[in-house]
Amino acid sequence: MKRKSQDCPSRLPDNSAVKQQQLPAYRLQLSANKILSGFFATGVFCLGVGIILLLSAKTIKEVEINYTEKCANCAKLRENAANFDKECNCSIPFVLPETMKGNVYMYYKLYGFYQNLYRYILSRSNSQLVGTDVKDVRNCAPFKTSHNGIPIAPCGAIANSMFNDTIILSYNLNSSIHVKVPMIRSGITWWTDKYVKFQNPSFQNLSSAFAGTTKPPNWPKPAYELDEEDPGNNGFINDDFIVWMRTAAFPTFKKLYRRLHRIEHFTEGLPAGSYSFNITYNFPVNRFQGEKAVVLSTLTWSGGSSLFLGLAYMVTGAVTWLAFFSMLAVHLRLRERKMFFLQQ
Amino acid sequence: MLCSKKKSLEVERIVKANDREYNEKYQYTDNRIHTCKYNILTFLPINLFEQFQRVANVYFLFLLILQLIPEISSLTWFTTIVPLVLVVTMTAVKDATDDYFRHKSDNQVNNRQSEVLIDSKLQNEKWMNVKVGDIIKLENNQFVAADLLLLSSSEPHGLCYIETAELDGETNLKVRHALSVTSGLGADISRLAKFDGIVVCEAPNNKLDKFTGVLSWKGSEHSLNNEKIILRGCVLRNTSWCFGMVIFAGPDTKLMQNSGKTKFKRTSIDRLMNTLVLWIFGFLICLGIILAIGNSIWENQVGDQFRTFLFWNEGEKNSVFSGFLTFWSYIIILNTVVPISLYVSVEVIRLGHSYFINWDRKMYYSGKATPAQARTTTLNEELGQIEYVFSDKTGTLTENIMTFKKCSINGRIYGEVHDVLGQKTDMTKKKEAVGFSVNPEADRTFQFFDHHLMESIKMGDPKVHEFLRLLALCHTVMSEENSAGELIYQVQSPDEGALVTAAKNLGFIFKSRTPETITIEELGTLVTYQLLAFLDFNNFRKRMSVIVRNPEGQIKLYSKGADTILFERLHPSNEDLLTLTSDHLSEFAGEGLRTLAIAYRDLDDKYFKEWHKMLEDANAAVDKRDERIEGLYEEIERDLMLLGATAVEDKLQEGVIETVTSLSLANIKIWVLTGDKQETAINIGYACNMLTDDMNDVFIIAGNTAVEVREELRKAKENLFGQNRSFSNGHVVFEKKQPLELDSVVEETVTGDYALIINGHSLTVYDQWFITLFNIVYTSLPVLAMGIFDQDVNDQNSMDCPQLYKPGQLNLLFNKHKFFICVAHGIYTSLALFFIPYGAFYNVAGEDGQHIADYQSFAVTMATSLVIVVSVQIALDTSYWTIINHVFVWGSIATYFSILFTMHSNGLFGIFPRQFPFVGNARHSLTQKCIWLVILLTIVASVMPVVAFRFLKVDLFPTLSDQKRLYTSQSGPLCGVYIIWMLHLTLGLLCLQIRQWQKAQKKARPLRSRKPQTRRSSSRRSGYAFAHQEGYGELITSGKNMRAKNPPPTSGLEKTLYNSTSWIENLCKKTTDTVSSFSQDKTVKL
Repeated sequence: MKRKSQDCPSRLPDNSAVKQQQLPAYRLQLSANKILSGFFATGVFCLGVGIILLLSAKTIKEVEINYTEKCANCAKLRENAANFDKECNCSIPFVLPETMKGNVYMYYKLYGFYQNLYRYILSRSNSQLVGTDVKDVRNCAPFKTSHNGIPIAPCGAIANSMFNDTIILSYNLNSSIHVKVPMIRSGITWWTDKYVKFQNPSFQNLSSAFAGTTKPPNWPKPAYELDEEDPGNNGFINDDFIVWMRTAAFPTFKKLYRRLHRIEHFTEGLPAGSYSFNITYNFPVNRFQGEKAVVLSTLTWSGGSSLFLGLAYMVTGAVTWLAFFSMLAVHLRLRERKMFFLQQ
Repeated sequence: MLCSKKKSLEVERIVKANDREYNEKYQYTDNRIHTCKYNILTFLPINLFEQFQRVANVYFLFLLILQLIPEISSLTWFTTIVPLVLVVTMTAVKDATDDYFRHKSDNQVNNRQSEVLIDSKLQNEKWMNVKVGDIIKLENNQFVAADLLLLSSSEPHGLCYIETAELDGETNLKVRHALSVTSGLGADISRLAKFDGIVVCEAPNNKLDKFTGVLSWKGSEHSLNNEKIILRGCVLRNTSWCFGMVIFAGPDTKLMQNSGKTKFKRTSIDRLMNTLVLWIFGFLICLGIILAIGNSIWENQVGDQFRTFLFWNEGEKNSVFSGFLTFWSYIIILNTVVPISLYVSVEVIRLGHSYFINWDRKMYYSGKATPAQARTTTLNEELGQIEYVFSDKTGTLTENIMTFKKCSINGRIYGEVHDVLGQKTDMTKKKEAVGFSVNPEADRTFQFFDHHLMESIKMGDPKVHEFLRLLALCHTVMSEENSAGELIYQVQSPDEGALVTAAKNLGFIFKSRTPETITIEELGTLVTYQLLAFLDFNNFRKRMSVIVRNPEGQIKLYSKGADTILFERLHPSNEDLLTLTSDHLSEFAGEGLRTLAIAYRDLDDKYFKEWHKMLEDANAAVDKRDERIEGLYEEIERDLMLLGATAVEDKLQEGVIETVTSLSLANIKIWVLTGDKQETAINIGYACNMLTDDMNDVFIIAGNTAVEVREELRKAKENLFGQNRSFSNGHVVFEKKQPLELDSVVEETVTGDYALIINGHSLTVYDQWFITLFNIVYTSLPVLAMGIFDQDVNDQNSMDCPQLYKPGQLNLLFNKHKFFICVAHGIYTSLALFFIPYGAFYNVAGEDGQHIADYQSFAVTMATSLVIVVSVQIALDTSYWTIINHVFVWGSIATYFSILFTMHSNGLFGIFPRQFPFVGNARHSLTQKCIWLVILLTIVASVMPVVAFRFLKVDLFPTLSDQKRLYTSQSGPLCGVYIIWMLHLTLGLLCLQIRQWQKAQKKARPLRSRKPQTRRSSSRRSGYAFAHQEGYGELITSGKNMRAKNPPPTSGLEKTLYNSTSWIENLCKKTTDTVSSFSQDKTVKL
């Protein structure tokens, strides 16, 4: 009882701002003026950004050549899996009407290839690719091991389906002289991919690092022989391999293949004229009714933007303004009416 | 276990007093109670079992099991286990704390001390050690430890008084009396110790008003009923001690038998949420089916050819089977669509609100040093939707204190205070009270402000003297002197108490009574009146009278009662006075005072003797006794001479009127349940503004059975149409906040979840960690902060404008319609969140020429947009930005980015390459200008339509709350209605106590403060109200409740003889009649 009476005064709740819900607060009051001016400003901003994006997108020069049909022979050859070791070359001439100024990037583009399939995406082994355990093929179903149980390196559906056409661009200075356009294969991957996510097993000799594993079934050569010209570009850190392994979000995608090396004739970019692509046709697309293309493109400040973003900004800006005007109209009308009532 | 089995078989209880060994063989439970659910060992299994009876948890568990099947597992197990563990742990902690407090309160109760007769000695024993058959001693104002058979008490005839407030909420005292054979035991310990009666009675049950049993003692049997039993939970009052034998102990007591399992209460939001969750679940199934069919078609058309790359196993080549598996995969992927986290959020918000309720100083009642206490967290938001308040009258509306305020004597009003200008002024204003210091018996708490009355008394106005004499004589009050020699009145009806006390203060002091005499002190001289007859009160008579002979030998009848009744019985010569008095009465009634008319009659000796003889005959009669007595009463109570009227104030609790007014404005209907008489109830209704004069009809529902009442109500409704308040009392709740936020909570969840639906083919767009953390970390905290801290309208405004409350009642803030708007909003947002990045990423390269349309970058972009969109949305919905809201809103965005960068860091990838494949993604994607442009566009596109929509809504269909929000600065605080309410959520019963707040402010705005005086009754109505029970007159004239030390009867005059054994039965019978009639028609009293 005694304790109770002692307790009594202390039962008054603390007079702190938190407990009394009296924290200093800013009351957000969106008045009509604020909202309307906000809408107006947003409209201006969106339209501005849209115009800038559209204008800069227009400066982009892009050439896309779909060679699915153009290399029909090779395509037919590839339809039969038995011919996997037969080479097939195909040359596609084209004319560049205008000079592509600045950096020019060469992409390969696939249509209808579902790199975003759930099981496809998961079918890889990051611990294998980072070089810690070459034989870790746990997540790679259905390409874990070969028929005789040897683990595949690199394992999994993604690696197995790697795009393996070789594309060489040559510039026809005149009808007889064909210059191979100099291309850089480096710098086409993310830094983190090249130096963190993908690592070869640490061995003196790369082929011995891959000992005890076998190549993916679709590959003509093992991973350590991907690039015969540059020994440093083999194994898991091969640039083309890394680019392929970064799976695309949509069934139609383009991936960076090479960058223009701006020397000799090409310091300004790609001059106008006639060119041809020499393609070693390895990658079968007919089986899934896909298509493949090669793309040459320049960039602007925002990257290789398409028209979409610019248009989307324009539309949003326009709609915002439309909304602004209709809201203004409604508001003014109502205010008049209110004033009328007040006067009465 | 064995014991409980036995208990269920118990059909009859046999208890022997003072014999623990004998009682042992029946294995009755002792007096220890357990209300707790768990102990340390059983906590985990029982609690888990309980928790997994909830749909939400089962759903999670089901998902978890699905995810363990590799063929269909589309998300890793941690996406499910993290929230599940979180929810289960939080609930378990909450349950554990609740139970800890139950343990504590059990302990506290079990360890209370009581005096038990053990080994022929009174010993202190803890309650939990009290056994069936023990004899325990109770003292005044003690709680009863167990269900007892009353053996003896300090009062004559083994009477004792108990208060049963804890059991039935009634505060008036009830009488219990011991059997005459046991009341003789008194306080004689040795005799009590030898008491070895055996009680055979009913098995434990929960009927509070029934008891049947037989006591066998000394070879004879005595039947026992409820009148001999004192139940656990009662408090002994006005009885210095009593002894009782324990019949039921601990869990077997009627109190504990009644406190069965508390039903889990669901709020309407809970119910709505459950419905919505079911719908969403159905929606999810449909979605799963559609997507599965789509998958089958795709597999059939496209996937079949795509097999080169994905080499399905032979068994899986079947596209239908693939579709089937996909169905389950989608159920897993889309599991967050079902807003299970909503339950958790709501739970947390409720918890936060209940803390705010507990902490609120404005809900602190300093009188009892009690802060508000939210006993259950589950019903908080329901406070915003209360439509009906059911209230008790006494103690809640009124203080149960009667004060004598005014009187009208012989056509003159006393008690009205006039200021210099002759205007009536406010009573409560400082004015010198009449000093009673000259009167040694004066009650210090009594205040009377009119000096004219004292003057009239001093001048010896015979009418005034007669008036006061009547007040001192005509009543059922008992007097006694306490140890200090002060006069103490034992009052059965507080009205009478007020009148007798007033008379005492004015010099007519009721001193003592015997069955035949009443002694009063008239301005210093002791006068003893012979009480010749007592014409008791009852509900039909509405009056009571005494017939006394004064020392001069004159016989007088003094009568007080309802004006309507007494006025009919006046002598014709009273006409002028009657008009005047009835004006006064109606004035009193208009002020909400309870009135009684006062009259007397001089009786002729011969006439009285004849009448008295007839009365005796009537009493002796077997046939139609009551009717005959009634007729005789009628006969003598006529040709009365009007003296005047009294006006007693049934003091309302502070702030009741203001509260009731606010409640009415808030469209809350108030029902008062009361055991009062109709007149009293109506009177209180007017007094506290529940009934006002502009209500044309007051419908009186007087059915005695449920059917009758329903019928009458239906009729009343037909008449009523529109005017729907029947009767009421005032208690309020403004809960301005919760419903509003709830919809936001839902909204956020839905937005987030719907954003998840739209994703590529069989692909989870988001990083799995993102899915796991999305609801828990990134968005829940701001929502919670908003839910807990937001105030859409400040407290001042919400007090000023009770109308703000209406939308909550009408469920306008969170209903199915709103929910569908939320869903539509969510779907729109998710479409924007998916298709804007989709379009922007399609066929696009990054600034360095590299492709940015890889699915990881896409996921990061969408996740970032989503978090920002949701935060902006919450920011827009938060109208009240405290530091905490800032911390949570900005904090959650900051947390998102820091977690994002951490999870995409080289370090984490180095340690767990398999779990964190997004390495470097944030760094790469979020440095791209075009990704930020995409995010920006997404935000604009998802937020702008919502703002526009709201703007138009506020402009075109403004709600009150909107106006308040937009125009606070202009209108300022409007009116000053200051209500403090205490939320007292106990077992679903809202028991609210009202306090007025800040009297200083009230003074500053006297115009706004509504006083009863300002309400003038336009119509004449009676203010008669009298809390009196029948039967006490009989008690007095029989002398049974008088102590032996009172002087023996001195008069030779035969007193009215009643069948002396019947008085207590009569009293009890009448009391139970009242109780049962009350319980029958408690639905409506008016």
